[in-house]
Amino acid sequence: MSLKEIDARGLACPAPVLQTKAALQEEAWPRIKIVVDNAASQQNVQRFLESQGYRTTLEQSGEDYLVMGTCVSRPGEQPRMSPTLEAGAKKIMVLCATDRMGFGDDELGLKLMISFLRTIKEMGSDLWRLVFVNNGVKLTIDGSEVLADLKDYEKAGLKILVCGTCLTHFDLLERKQVGETTNMLDIVTAMQLADKVISI
Amino acid sequence: MVFPTDENVLIGLDRADDAGVYRITDDIALIQTVDFFTPIVDDPYWFGQIAAANALSDVYAMSGIPKTAMNLVAFPAEEMELTVLRQIIQGGIDKIREAGVVLIGGHSIVDKELKYGLSVTGIIHPAKVLAKKNLRPGDSLVLTKPLGTGIINTAIKAGLASAELTDRVTRLMAELNRDAARIMENFDVGACTDVTGFGLLGHLAEMVCGSGTSVRIESAKVPVIAEALEFANMGFVPAGAYKNKEFREKMTACAETVPRSLQDVLVDPQTSGGLLISVGGSQAASLACALQAGGIVDAAVIGEVTADPAEKISVV
Repeated sequence: MSLKEIDARGLACPAPVLQTKAALQEEAWPRIKIVVDNAASQQNVQRFLESQGYRTTLEQSGEDYLVMGTCVSRPGEQPRMSPTLEAGAKKIMVLCATDRMGFGDDELGLKLMISFLRTIKEMGSDLWRLVFVNNGVKLTIDGSEVLADLKDYEKAGLKILVCGTCLTHFDLLERKQVGETTNMLDIVTAMQLADKVISI
Repeated sequence: MVFPTDENVLIGLDRADDAGVYRITDDIALIQTVDFFTPIVDDPYWFGQIAAANALSDVYAMSGIPKTAMNLVAFPAEEMELTVLRQIIQGGIDKIREAGVVLIGGHSIVDKELKYGLSVTGIIHPAKVLAKKNLRPGDSLVLTKPLGTGIINTAIKAGLASAELTDRVTRLMAELNRDAARIMENFDVGACTDVTGFGLLGHLAEMVCGSGTSVRIESAKVPVIAEALEFANMGFVPAGAYKNKEFREKMTACAETVPRSLQDVLVDPQTSGGLLISVGGSQAASLACALQAGGIVDAAVIGEVTADPAEKISVV
């Protein structure tokens, strides 16, 4: 089992917690060990790990305060960022009403769209909803070049909504492979709740 | 240590209170305080406002009327644009203008770390000084601002607080305790202090020590910024909160049913926190109502003073 070690000695609150958080965002380490130099930071790191699904033990040796964490969430179940992190983030809704980005050359448009959908993960936890309507729903069916990417997003906790009326219109209802089939009321509600709506 | 004093020192260092009080005539006493700190928000203009509200608060906590203020400035002139300093001072000026106070001087030095605050002088009738050490059994305790600014500020530093939360907490810290002080004048108030760096329980402990009474806090009634509980659970608790907890551990008994995050909020160091008022028990609800009606919407009755001479704080 790989063990991630973080030396956060000499750092004041909230830096040790932030280093721990960064490490967990980089990878869901099965085991993690953080060394700090004061009891307050030790307790803060412990609480952060526990809020992220880790079981913790504390040790003290000399001037060093240790927190050992073992991930206890089941395999395949990513430690979710807590609601606070989501609340702290902006809520961005991306609405894809087409399977091509921009107008002009269709082949280029498709390439751009694929690239776009692979890159939006850079928005991190700010990305709150990904909604597909009209021709956009074709990106969610079998054979879509971004299907694997969208499935990964969904697994990581992103809510993907796919327009049911559109799927029915194109007779693709049975071929949809990712996301939740949705209706216009849900889409309008999501627009209302979002801090920002990006329309493609 | 022996401090120089005379018969006109009504409140001095020997019984350290929110501010010092010195009698000039039988009708007028001077009330003096000074407070300054390093930036707690990024925006210089708001930092100026918060620092000024915080300095003025000590006068309000003793039921005095602040009259004059002087700037205290430490500024890293080589590293920072002078416009930053201008904005800080503008924030301070706007806040003291709101308080009806005049700025009559100040002093600046060059320093590695930016600091800003005010010395404030007010007036008060010598018989109307509201000290913190006068808890009466049967009194109720009223708090006028929600707790949690220390934890939220830690989350802001960590870049995890939303813009909306940052804005809400900034405004809360910049809010004067003037209106709360004016409203409480109409009630049978025995003691008052403002909640700052030692957190609610720390400042309560100062009131309890030497009072011959104890207090009982109903944690569920304490006004709290909801997000502070979530951030506490994630470990964004400032080191000062742990120190505050440890410092008053011996006189505090907290029921196991009180969630850990709420316990943290009760010792969370506050910047420009609210007034903590000990008021005759039968008047507590009407004081809270009057405060709410006066725009101090978070004001709440949070506990009571008991006759137990053990000088303990129990949190249920």
